[in-house]
Amino acid sequence: MPLVFTLAFRNLFHDRLRLIATVIGIVFSIVLVMVQMGLYFGFGRMVTTMIDNASADLWVMPKGTKCFEDPSLLDARQRNRALSVPGVAEAIPVVIGFADWRTPSGSSTPVFVVGSDLRSGGLEPWNLVEGRLESLSTPNSVAVDKTYFDRLGIKGLGARAEIRQQAVRVAAVTDGIRSFTTTPYVFMDVDRARSYTGVPSSKATYFLIKLDNGSNLDAVRANLQSTLGADVEVLKPSEFRERSRQFWLFGTGAGAALFAGAILGIIVGTVIVAQTLYSSTKDHINEFATLRAMGSSRSYIYKVIIWQAILNAVIGFGLAALVGAAVVRATAASALPIVITPELSVGLFVLTVVMCIISAIAAIMKVTRIDPAQVFTR
Amino acid sequence: MSEIVMEAVNVEKVLGNGPAQIRALKGVSLSLRGGELTLLMGPSGSGKTTLLSILGCMLTPTEGTVRVRGDSIDGKGPEELAKLRRENIGYVFQSYHLFPTLSATDNVRLALDVRAESGRDAKARAREALARVGLAQKTANYPKQLSGGEQQRVAIARAVVGEPSVILADEPTAALDSENGKAIMGILAGIAKDPKRGVLVVTHDPRLVPYADRIVHIEDGNIVNEEVRNNSRSLREMLGKA
Repeated sequence: MPLVFTLAFRNLFHDRLRLIATVIGIVFSIVLVMVQMGLYFGFGRMVTTMIDNASADLWVMPKGTKCFEDPSLLDARQRNRALSVPGVAEAIPVVIGFADWRTPSGSSTPVFVVGSDLRSGGLEPWNLVEGRLESLSTPNSVAVDKTYFDRLGIKGLGARAEIRQQAVRVAAVTDGIRSFTTTPYVFMDVDRARSYTGVPSSKATYFLIKLDNGSNLDAVRANLQSTLGADVEVLKPSEFRERSRQFWLFGTGAGAALFAGAILGIIVGTVIVAQTLYSSTKDHINEFATLRAMGSSRSYIYKVIIWQAILNAVIGFGLAALVGAAVVRATAASALPIVITPELSVGLFVLTVVMCIISAIAAIMKVTRIDPAQVFTR
Repeated sequence: MSEIVMEAVNVEKVLGNGPAQIRALKGVSLSLRGGELTLLMGPSGSGKTTLLSILGCMLTPTEGTVRVRGDSIDGKGPEELAKLRRENIGYVFQSYHLFPTLSATDNVRLALDVRAESGRDAKARAREALARVGLAQKTANYPKQLSGGEQQRVAIARAVVGEPSVILADEPTAALDSENGKAIMGILAGIAKDPKRGVLVVTHDPRLVPYADRIVHIEDGNIVNEEVRNNSRSLREMLGKA
């Protein structure tokens, strides 16, 4: 083991109380950043869940649609125009909108209706745990997520309620389709969705385009755009996903708030580590002066301090990762789960190391000013 | 005559500014020769430590120069001076300045590590240096597990392990009892037997005089007397054999 590492390690563990304080500071800081970023990613994932689970090569939507939940409407005649474009196999209408769900007991709660042509398989409910998709074709049938049973005032499959004074029967149950707005999604056939939301049959919110095998996506998209005119937009799923994310994360300020929290965490962590590294360096200043007197280069001493910073980072990150894993587990079933991807973990580790190294600057400046001759007077 | 390993030529040092300014050294010239143990003696405030710091390339003189094996320190920056120190000078301090978190071996190895000499060979050399000062059985001990005399031996092993041309020792026996003081001086005298190496010991302890080949007296920033003691060599040789 390199001696410079041994020295750094021993310096760090020499004062265990200070080490504990430093590590707590780092853990606090990294967990804060982890939670904020995890919420950011979780939110980013939740806001695109419908787009992610739709079966479409292209999305046709009214121009200026900001996100999936945007209730702007298209003229249904555009569907025939879309179908006339070479390479387009299907143009599946989707209707969405908010509605009031009234339970048999008389209470009501808002729901988000998602209607799609179920024969074409455009935007069907997924993760079915009870009932069958085909049963949604029967009159008044809908699918809901079991997470929202309490909110909807129902007990399960076969439950009855009303939307817009029209009967509703739960014919299928999903698991894990949660809404970041906490408004339950209710899946159904597109015609039923029109009737439950009041959208006329001449309108639709989206057309989900499926291409013929072997068609060129970009060419069909350009053709669709010119055929459908300037009032509509034709987006790839990745583009619509990004647009939805941009709207919810930055258009609403939610992302900025999460980032602000993350930056606060970084600042707190940097200050804590800087303070403890500086005081550790000050405590060991005689040793650093001795090293300098013995002829060590400044870079040798910097290495000792930077190793201390890296060790702080590794220990702090290790514990923060454990806390983070617990937080992820605890929020997995919530409306807004904290998502920590492998990339985020790697990024956080790099951030922790960088934060700790930046924190070492004050300590490094202190040792830069060491007078080696002080070893003769102490 | 043996080679000059270090010399100070007309060194002056002014410390402080304005009315608090002090001329700590007033044109001091001193040569250290290989194979010699030189005692630098003088009362407190005479300029001993300032001269030691300048000879040790930790302070630069206001006037005059220092040469280490003929290489002048004039115009050298802090990093060049550090290189000069690690390649040519070993230090023994009054209060040892060992690293409390490192074992005796690692304390000695540090002097090699700063010279980018590491690995098994460095470890072996560190143990060998400790064996030479009589600590072969305590290589794994930490400073707090060693007596004052043993700690100073570790410091001496650290000073010599890199085979420097000059050993500068600042009051190396001041914190030790008489027996340990003698033992330490015996070791330093033994080191000074090497004709390629000069040893300078700063002290105000007259009991160290018998170990010296040369005694330099400094007072008020001036060298007031320099005495060559031919008879001491026999004592050193006797100690060396012992």
